[in-house]
Amino acid sequence: MSRVFVGMSGGVDSALAAALLVEQGHDVLGVYMRNWSQDLPGFKCPWADDLADAERVAVTLGIDLEVWDCEKEYRETVVDYLVDAYRRGLTPNPDVMCNQTVKFGTFAERAFAQGADLVATGHYARVEHGAGGDPARLLRSCDEHKDQTYFMWRVPGEVYNRAVFPIGGYHTKAEVRAACAERGLGIEQKPDSDGICFIGPVGLRTFLLDSLERRPGDVIDWKTGEVLGRHEGAFLFTVGQRRGLDLGGGPARYVVSTDTDANVVYVTDDTSCPALWTQTLVVDDTHWVAGEAPREGSYLVRTRHTGPLREAHVVARDGEATITFAEPVRTVAPGQSAVIYDDICCLGGGIVTKEERA
Amino acid sequence: MTDRQVYLDYGAATPVLPEVFDAMAPYLTDQFYNPSAPYALARQARADLEAARATLARLIGARPGQVTLTAGATEANNLAFATVDGPVVTDAAEHESVLACAEAHDHVLVGVGPDARVNPAAVRSALTPMTELVSVELANGEVGTMQPLREIAAVVAAERARRLEAGEHTPLYLHTDASQAVLTHAVNVSSLGADLVTLSAAKVYGPKQVGLLWSSDDVRLRPLVRGGGQEGGVRSGTENVAGVVGFARALQIASGRRKDEARRLAALRNRLQRRLETAFPTMVVSGPKKDKQRLPGLLHVSFPGLDAARLVIQLERRGVSVGTGSACAASRMQVSHVLQAMGVPDEVARGSLRITLGLPTSQDDIDYAAAQIEQVVAAEGERVGVTL
Repeated sequence: MSRVFVGMSGGVDSALAAALLVEQGHDVLGVYMRNWSQDLPGFKCPWADDLADAERVAVTLGIDLEVWDCEKEYRETVVDYLVDAYRRGLTPNPDVMCNQTVKFGTFAERAFAQGADLVATGHYARVEHGAGGDPARLLRSCDEHKDQTYFMWRVPGEVYNRAVFPIGGYHTKAEVRAACAERGLGIEQKPDSDGICFIGPVGLRTFLLDSLERRPGDVIDWKTGEVLGRHEGAFLFTVGQRRGLDLGGGPARYVVSTDTDANVVYVTDDTSCPALWTQTLVVDDTHWVAGEAPREGSYLVRTRHTGPLREAHVVARDGEATITFAEPVRTVAPGQSAVIYDDICCLGGGIVTKEERA
Repeated sequence: MTDRQVYLDYGAATPVLPEVFDAMAPYLTDQFYNPSAPYALARQARADLEAARATLARLIGARPGQVTLTAGATEANNLAFATVDGPVVTDAAEHESVLACAEAHDHVLVGVGPDARVNPAAVRSALTPMTELVSVELANGEVGTMQPLREIAAVVAAERARRLEAGEHTPLYLHTDASQAVLTHAVNVSSLGADLVTLSAAKVYGPKQVGLLWSSDDVRLRPLVRGGGQEGGVRSGTENVAGVVGFARALQIASGRRKDEARRLAALRNRLQRRLETAFPTMVVSGPKKDKQRLPGLLHVSFPGLDAARLVIQLERRGVSVGTGSACAASRMQVSHVLQAMGVPDEVARGSLRITLGLPTSQDDIDYAAAQIEQVVAAEGERVGVTL
């Protein structure tokens, strides 16, 4: 029996995680991390309802639930990071930062300081604890449609050594919901929360316009240099984006690149446009679960959550890595994570840079 | 899970009585007319609206022209505070709508005693020659304390007399939110000594979002909602005829059975209190000790060391619905400002239940609820290792 602190969000996954830990005979404490409580125009932050759901589950399980205020860390390392990255013309993954700095940062540190042997969350991932002080291995969940390791690559294996993911072995979300229903947890009907939690369904555009000044600029045809229309700020656009261009009809056009300094958005109507494709990614700010970079060689690489795992040759050195795909792939927006796997094992990754593609 | 349902949160919401619903229904369907329209059908709706206003006025000892209809007590409180620009005085145990309005002015919050009573002498010391409004509720909705409003009215009257003699022209008004009290305590505006009185239909078995502000002839109200000039230009928007008719009917019924009902509720509340006190010697009962100084249908109890939110969940599963204090504070996970003002320690405040009885509450309901509370509190106490 271990003392386990489980992060409970009020959702289905973490509820089942907590239930399973109780059944395994652990001494379990539920923790609701209050990361954000701010409303946006058209979106009421549901944190109080989520907390009420978490509380009901805790009562059913007969465990204590504490509320930990993590708003400061969350604002500084996730929200401010997100806004700043967009301002610089990047397309960040806030969930990656949240895992690193809040869930496996503040939460884990405080839990261990307060006597936890292990921390647990409802993440879809598996972990293999290292023997004799070796770092843990992070493995993809059994449910490939739900696997969340794409968001977990920046967390060091030492932390995963003291982490458990009780639902990583489930094969489908339906099984998870059924397991919740079986236990009378009362939240099996609750819908999945997709997307960025503090933005909700209003969309990133509303959030960014709430934080950054509108700045009109030109939409330019990448090939001809012709001005096709106007936009409200290059920071609102991301590579490959098709919606929201408002060019008054004509063929479907895709964003090829943005220049936030000159405030220009480049587009094309040609899906075979070379700027939309790449074979090599350069990433920096690399992190490796094992603590050291993998040897040069052939790996699987994922560039978006639950996206395809593509074969690539990876050369890592000095906080950077060059990823060369076997086949050309659609251009990845700078700021996104490229995550590197060896079979089912998530090794780590890096942040896609703006560097010229080879 | 159980089929039996015992609702004990009438301080948060009351059901619309069948008689009230029947009185309202025609105005939602057949007699839907806009009271401002010129034809006979609409003029009848106007007449019925005014008759309802007259009933409301009569029931509180006022003239119809002094009654401004609003969408609930919160709006009435806002309207009362909008009459003045200068400094205001209120107390720390008021409803959020009053505290938030006070914050928009220069304000002094006088403290309350451990029983949540406002000391009239504290109001007197808080007054300055610039003070324009004093606002003290007639009864506190969270712990049930009746405030010494007549004594506070005397303080206000004395200050007004002083200003008159001194040739000072700064006006000074007394406002009271009587919405929690009116069900069990007669509200007569002339004997209260207030200049502004708030009432709500939602607390007297009428519809939600209907309320009124009574104002004396000395007060000039200023609109917060502008538009077509209804309610003498003070509160624009097509009149809520059905709601006001329902309010009048509800207050009429409440006034008719006020005395008997107050006695009945007090007896039930005391039965519940005695039973819980016997079971849990460490339980804290908040509010005044004397029955005369507290609302008869309200029992506020705290179980030190327990978490009220968990008790509510477990009671709900046994069919018993109770509150954890003021609903707003509960949803924000903060300790109630009322208990804080009373000096209740946090670990006591966190284990607080507000139990409010109502018209449909029977002795059998109380006995069932008491048994459930006893079991849930005992089990939770055992789980966390607290002796109760």
